[in-house]
Formats: sequence, structure tokens, C-alpha cells
Amino acid sequence: MKTEAKRLMRGSEAIGEAAIRSGCSCYFGYPITPQNELTEYMAKRMLETGRVFIQSESELAAINMVLGAAATGARVMTSSSSPGITLKQEGISFLASMELPCVIVNVMRGGPGLGNIAPSQSDYFQATRGGGHGDYRTIVLAPASVQELFDLTRDGFDLADEYRIPVIILADGMLGQMMEPLVLKDTPIAPEELPEKPWTLRGAKDRPSRFIRSLILDVNLEEEHNWRLYRKYQRIERREIRFEEYFTEGADMIVVAYGTAARIAKAAVKKCIEKNMRVGLIRPISLWPFPNEKILDLTKYAGHFMCFEMSMGQMVEDVRLAVQGKAEVSIYGRPGGVVPTPAELFRVISRTYNKILREKKA
Amino acid sequence: MDRSLEHELVNRGHVACPGCGAVLAMRYVLNVLGPKTILVLPACCWSVITNRHPNSAMKIPVFHTAFETAACTAAGVRAALEIKGVQDVNVLAWAGDGGTFDIGLQALSGAAERNDDIIYVCYDNEAYMNTGIQRSSATPFGAWTTTTPEASYKERPKKDIMAIMAAHNIPYAATASVAFPEDLMEKTARAKQLRGMRFLHILCPCPTGWKCASDLTVKLARDAVNSKSFPLYEIFDGVRYKLSYKPGEQLSIAEYIKPQRRFAHLKPVEVEAIQQQTDERWKRLMHTVSSWPA
Repeated sequence: MKTEAKRLMRGSEAIGEAAIRSGCSCYFGYPITPQNELTEYMAKRMLETGRVFIQSESELAAINMVLGAAATGARVMTSSSSPGITLKQEGISFLASMELPCVIVNVMRGGPGLGNIAPSQSDYFQATRGGGHGDYRTIVLAPASVQELFDLTRDGFDLADEYRIPVIILADGMLGQMMEPLVLKDTPIAPEELPEKPWTLRGAKDRPSRFIRSLILDVNLEEEHNWRLYRKYQRIERREIRFEEYFTEGADMIVVAYGTAARIAKAAVKKCIEKNMRVGLIRPISLWPFPNEKILDLTKYAGHFMCFEMSMGQMVEDVRLAVQGKAEVSIYGRPGGVVPTPAELFRVISRTYNKILREKKA
Repeated sequence: MDRSLEHELVNRGHVACPGCGAVLAMRYVLNVLGPKTILVLPACCWSVITNRHPNSAMKIPVFHTAFETAACTAAGVRAALEIKGVQDVNVLAWAGDGGTFDIGLQALSGAAERNDDIIYVCYDNEAYMNTGIQRSSATPFGAWTTTTPEASYKERPKKDIMAIMAAHNIPYAATASVAFPEDLMEKTARAKQLRGMRFLHILCPCPTGWKCASDLTVKLARDAVNSKSFPLYEIFDGVRYKLSYKPGEQLSIAEYIKPQRRFAHLKPVEVEAIQQQTDERWKRLMHTVSSWPA
């Protein structure tokens, strides 16, 4: 295994480089801020490595190019930002039904509507509930550093292939623009070195035809298809949960945050620890599947969970479901593209924490 | 027609780049259309140029809408005006080349086929400039953009949007240039008098994306016309053609593209290929103009 030294890299480029090293052979993009650096990087790198880069005429076109390429077994990626991801939802629903693996990067920006181009987390519902029409889920990974943008994109390709499912990398404008040291610990794999997939459509010469479908008119067959997808989603829920804990053991209060929000939360919680406050942090890395059991387990210490999100009341619903009424749940949301400082968050945590202490005494 | 530009509807305080051709285009068009105009803007440079509400540089109502929806949003605004019996308001859809040639083409075609009563202006700066210079289908052959790097410059010619609009048999379609303001304003006045779908295709040089000096905007807009790269003409009802301006002594393509560093990587043989494509297109246009005169 070849280990490379640290290099300073921009977040969006780390995603691109991870795709290259995962053997991604087709990238389909369309301009939208704040993720254009990734498209630009892919334009250069895909051509350098003799792979396919296409700038489509719309997001709808890009996601359906993903659909076509994924059906042949290629490792495929597309990227966009919130409004563009909305336009891709029809294609994502088709990909989920046809069980086609791909990686979809959403560099979230403030919304709803045209919104703005500031970092945001307001696409949590859209990402974790499927997003498009029909009964389906996608694996959603939420990186919080440039290193994780790289690592989770690489893992995303593997998970997509293993479960034949679209994987969403849920980042935001802050992570995309950020420059941090990156260590490439992985072994790059070229597209031609990837193992053969037994279900791809590449011509049926000398073998029976294969079918990849999302049009299933017979209701009984469609029900069976949905059951099969459901069982797959259950399998993923059992096996693919990821999270990070920070001073959770014995904590009276636990902050729940992901991505950029979790970086801020970590700094705020660190300050709490310095002040001898029993506050911890849990950072879901997989947003779907969500770390329900872990959070439920933490109710043995903590009577209060504060969900901090750069949106207004989205992940908090999952936290509420996870604690099953065994702890109080509150929300500190900063929607619209606002990125609060650790000091601001520390003040909010302190207020709630002191209230908890007062109630405990009373 | 007021040619004095005394009644500016674009205020100071807009945030366009220095030398932006698209601002000139807006000023000329609004000078003719006047204050009774509702402006529909999809995602494009102009959705930023107006500056942020409430500090808008525009003296007319602005409707910001999604990238692919300029024509259909404008059609909706017109429908509401019709229901209210308002007849003296112009509905102006104003989209860039990405929002017209690419993602907005479906909505544009729909509005054109229905002959919706709107004026649609495509201000063409030949790439997605607002998002950082990505190729569009209006990007000319040979040009560098961030998604068509020098090593693999754009190998397809610019899409012929005027032919597509003509194929919809709309009442009026015309090309215009910010270097020919009187012609541009006359065409706008003609569009204003007509009803139904009216389409203006205005070439707006972009110093930022074309990689040229910011004082060359008007010169390049003029050179584009004189080199026959961007001919000025009108199409009535999709079938009758009229050339607006015949270049005198022809300027070569090599001279036109020389100040634009987006073409700097091209070899003489590639420049010659562009010259040939240009000559061929001009010949075809001349044939059409003489065969089906207005």
C-alpha cells in the first residue's frame, strides 16, 4: 500500500480526487454555485485520466446520464447544490427503484427557493427521506472535514456498489471551499480493475437477457419489489450506521450535530468541558441510516439532547424519534445560510445546561 | 423612441463586472420598453447584477425565478395581467445563454409554440459566466471555459438559436449587438409594437469570461458583427428574413478573436476552421435572406 504525504487541498477537490481514486469513470455535472470548483476539477482530472466528463444541459440531463452509465456497471458521480439536487429527484427515485449504484454530491446552500449561496443544512429532510416520489431511501453520508469529504466519497462508491443504491454525500458551501491537510491513505483503483458486476446491461450475447426496471405495472410484482427494497434498507440500517462521540460518557446534556454544525458544536462543547460542564457531543456521520440505538443508549446518562442544525427543525425529528421519550429534546436551529460561532453556541448550551441543573436541584 | 437615455431604468449601484455588455443591453432595451415593464429574471448574471433587495438598481418590478423557468414564469405573469385586463404592460423575460440555449429551452419552446405574449431577451455572453465560466451550447467552437480546458476546448459550434426560434413561426425574432445601440433600440421598439412571442438575441461581450480588457466590450461586439461571426438580422413570422447591417470590408475571424484570450490556445489551422464555419454560415444566411425577404 502506497501512503502519500499530507497535502493541502480544497474540500471540493478532495471529493473529486476521491472519485478519481475510486475508479469513477463517468462524471456528469451542471453549473451551480457553490460546487463549481468540483465540476472544474473533474473537467480537468477526468480528461487527464482518459475518463468521461460531460457538462450536461441541465440537472435533469446529468442525473439521467448517471442512470444510463450506472446501468452498464460504471462507477458514476454527479454533483450539484440544493436547487439543482431538487431537479435531480426524479432521476434519484428511478435510480433507487432500478437499484443502480452512484454517488451524488449535494453541496447545500441556503433555501428554500432560490435562497442564497451560503452554507446550509436545510436539505436534511430531502436527503434522508428519499427526496423523490415512492418508497425508497438513499444512504446519506455527512462529512465534517476535508479528510472526511475524501474518505466518505471513497466509501460512498463502495457502499453504492455493495447495496446497489445511490449514495448522497451531504456537504455544504463551507466544507466545499475549506482548505485542510489531506492524507491519502488509500490505494487507488482504476476503472478497469474494478470487479465485474453480475447485473449490468452490456449486451446479452451468449447469455440470457437481464432486466433493470422501474416500470412494474403488476401491483403484486411492484409490492414484492418494494418489499425487497425494504429488506435491503433494513440490512443497511443494521450494518452501516456511523457516528462520532465526544465526551458523551456521563454527560448530563448531549449536543447532536452533523457536518459543519458539528465542527462548531465540537468547539463549543470543548469550552463546556473546560468549564467542568457535563456536556457531550454526538455527531451522526451516516444521516440515513441514523444512529437511533446509540442515541437511545445515551439517554442512560443524558436527560437532555440539544439538536444544533443549520436548518430549522429537521434532524431534531430524528433525535426525538431516537430518544423514545426518555429524554428532553430541544432545537437550536440557524437557517438561511447563517453559520454561528462556537461562542454563540456555547452561550446557548450554557443557558440550557444551567436550566437543567436548576430543575435537577428543584 | 427616446434615444437620449435620459430616463434610465437601471440605476447606479448595480454590481456588474467592469465592461459588462449585459448592462448596456438592459439599459438600451428598457430605454425603449419604459417603466411599464415587468422583468422576469431566471438564475443568470443579471439575477446578481440587480443588486440585493431592497437595494435593487432596477426602477421596474423584478421577478426572480428558477433557472429553467424564464419563459413560463413570464407566461404566467402575462396570463394574470390578461385576467386583470391590463394591456399596457410589457412582460420581459431576460435570460442568459445558459438559461436560454440549455436548461431554459423547453420552457422557451413551450411559450413560443403557444405564442405567449411576452418579450424574451437572451443576453448572450457565450458561457455560464455567473457560476464561473462554464461552457454552454452558446459557447463558440474553440473557446476555453473552465469545463472545456485548453487541452479539450469546445469542439462543437454554437447552437443556432435563431433557427430554432424561427422554426416556431413566432411573430418576431431578431439578433442585436450592444455595439449597434440604435439598431438594438429600433428592434426593441418593433418587438414592443407587436403582440405574441417576441425574441431578441443580443450578443453581450463579457471581459471576465472572454479574458479580454474591460474597455474592449463595444469593440468586440462590433467586431463580432463585422467579422460576420454574429450577423444582425430579423425574422418575421419565422419565414421572412431581413439583414439589418451588411459589414463592409470583412474583418477576419483571426482579428476578431485576437484580443480574447479564451481563444489564445488555438493554432492557425483551427482559427482557419472557424473562419470557414463562419463563411459557410454567412453564405447560408445570405441565401435565406434573398430567398425569403421580408
